[in-house]
Amino acid sequence: MNDLLEGFRLVGQMDVLIAILASSIYGLVVGSLPGLSATMATALLVPVTFYLSPIAAVATIISASAMAIFSGDIPGCLLRIPGTPASAAYTDEAYAMTRKGQAELALGTGLWFSAVGGIIGTLSLVVMAPLLAEVALNFSSYEYFWLAVLGLMCATLVARSSPVKAIASMLLGLLVSCIGMENPAGAPRFTWGQPDLLGGIEPLPALVGVFALSEVMRALATFDPPPLPRRKFGSIMAGQWALTKIYQWPMWRGNVIGIIIGVLPGAGADMAAWVSYAMSKRFSKTPEKFGTGHPEGLVEAGASNNASLASGWVPALLFGIPGDTITAIAIGVLYMKGLNPGPTLFTERASSMYALYIIFILANIIMIPLGIIMIRLAAHVLRAPRASIMPIILMLCAVGAFATGNNMFSVLMVGFFGVVGYVMERNGYPVAALVLGIVMGSMVEQSFVTSLIKSDNSLLPFIDRPISGVLAAITAGALLWPVGAWLLRRRTRTRPPLQRPA
Amino acid sequence: MQLSDRVTGGFLVALGGVAVYGASLQPGVPGQDVGPSVFPTIIGLGLIGCGLLILLRVGHSFEAPDDVIPAAPGEALPQPPRFAEIRAFIPPLLLVFYTLVADWLGFLPTAAVMVLVVALALGARWRLALPLAVLAPLGIATIFMKLLRVPLPDGILPLPW
Repeated sequence: MNDLLEGFRLVGQMDVLIAILASSIYGLVVGSLPGLSATMATALLVPVTFYLSPIAAVATIISASAMAIFSGDIPGCLLRIPGTPASAAYTDEAYAMTRKGQAELALGTGLWFSAVGGIIGTLSLVVMAPLLAEVALNFSSYEYFWLAVLGLMCATLVARSSPVKAIASMLLGLLVSCIGMENPAGAPRFTWGQPDLLGGIEPLPALVGVFALSEVMRALATFDPPPLPRRKFGSIMAGQWALTKIYQWPMWRGNVIGIIIGVLPGAGADMAAWVSYAMSKRFSKTPEKFGTGHPEGLVEAGASNNASLASGWVPALLFGIPGDTITAIAIGVLYMKGLNPGPTLFTERASSMYALYIIFILANIIMIPLGIIMIRLAAHVLRAPRASIMPIILMLCAVGAFATGNNMFSVLMVGFFGVVGYVMERNGYPVAALVLGIVMGSMVEQSFVTSLIKSDNSLLPFIDRPISGVLAAITAGALLWPVGAWLLRRRTRTRPPLQRPA
Repeated sequence: MQLSDRVTGGFLVALGGVAVYGASLQPGVPGQDVGPSVFPTIIGLGLIGCGLLILLRVGHSFEAPDDVIPAAPGEALPQPPRFAEIRAFIPPLLLVFYTLVADWLGFLPTAAVMVLVVALALGARWRLALPLAVLAPLGIATIFMKLLRVPLPDGILPLPW
């Protein structure tokens, strides 16, 4: 109880409240601009968090990412261009509603169910994290190894791309993490005699390059999005309560799916939205209405992607394994601020954990008024020409990377990873898998080598300990899943096509 | 830069080979079988395997057609700009430019050049690009140097306040 009060006191400090408000506005604006994703918003925030108190630093990341995931719905609904990848699953549906003259309803649905999903996801975090922390205390390097590998496998599964290419991306990330002296022998590895490489590749410049610089590059290679027609909005929140009652069951399903996908290491909001939208269509009583401007899928997927955001912090806080690309960044900030992830975080720093929960709830509550303002201002924000935004993003890439270590080498790394990310994306190699590989590489290697040394080079303890056995089985399933899906697809394809009523 | 699966797959095989070779050069840890070479060897072998599978176009059917949303009926997709593939490499080249000249030219002039180039490349008029090239670096420098205390290079033109 004392911890809870202490948590409230921590959040109630002026700098934290200002950080929440400012980063919320920042998240809303960045998320609503097409091409600028929630991950990018978070990556560019990191240099700012260096100078904040620990709680304020975490607060900026939580509020900016939650707002960005919601506001990605806005251009999706109005322009048919998803603002963030997490909105892509239902962009067509939302745009169809706009064409039917129901833009308010579609945007309101996105806003209301984002907030509901965020709050329910937070509650799941509150309930699950301490319970899992008990279990996690028994984990040894074998279990950590499998958890990390499972996270990497999930990252390859969620990519809507060739699984082979996704695994290749992940391996590339792991290879990058091999660079430097942090290895079992402490010897310089793959450094080519460069002193700058001795410390290894910092994840942040790589993230900024892959997610932010490559976006500036893409902007130069593509056409301008169409201008947004001016429109007057009616009441945004009207009818949302009725929708909540009608689609109560899909909403809960969306929340639960979002929570599960969020907890899975490596899988995040994008995946949650795609799965939930597909599920909603599959189990709907009126699947034929999907795609014609039907709010049911929006309810389910909108709740799902925000729910996954909060539960994605479960593996991040407990094991230091990112639940998605956003928490991959957050973990770095947690370490920097002395909130080292691990099960003991919940016993030794309980008040900070309560503060974190409170920030989540608070961010999802203020999302509603701020979101309404944002929707009304969207016409102006979306009118800002790319020619004025992209140069600023480029400068923020340079300065942000420089700020991480005050050296120019990081700036070069941003350029390098920007090119890598751009070329990979163009050729169907998912970049999220690359990034998770870079972030988790040293953990995978360390737990693997430690385990091997402990077991005297025997691989048996990797599978015969109860928890590690289960984790190994899930990982194997994740690896074999694409093969199964491929076989299944081949079988159905050889069958004669079903007669469908036109 | 759209490359064929043959090129990217071949590159991965080569990179995997280099990784395995590089790993074999790593010094061992005395009295211990697992050293710094184990992990890169496994990754290298994995990359070779993936590269070969990509060369054989395994898993190609899983690739989503494209992230670009198809045009709505009755709407034509505008053509991408000319030299799109070359233009895309302007931003990383500008970052190289930044690392080369920022230390003696200073943050403000270097950033102004970069902002101007990107804005003009994106089709901004001079009316927008010039004020942006003056104001954006000033704003960023103020936030990062004064508030966040990042030592950006002063060069020939320090921040006036």
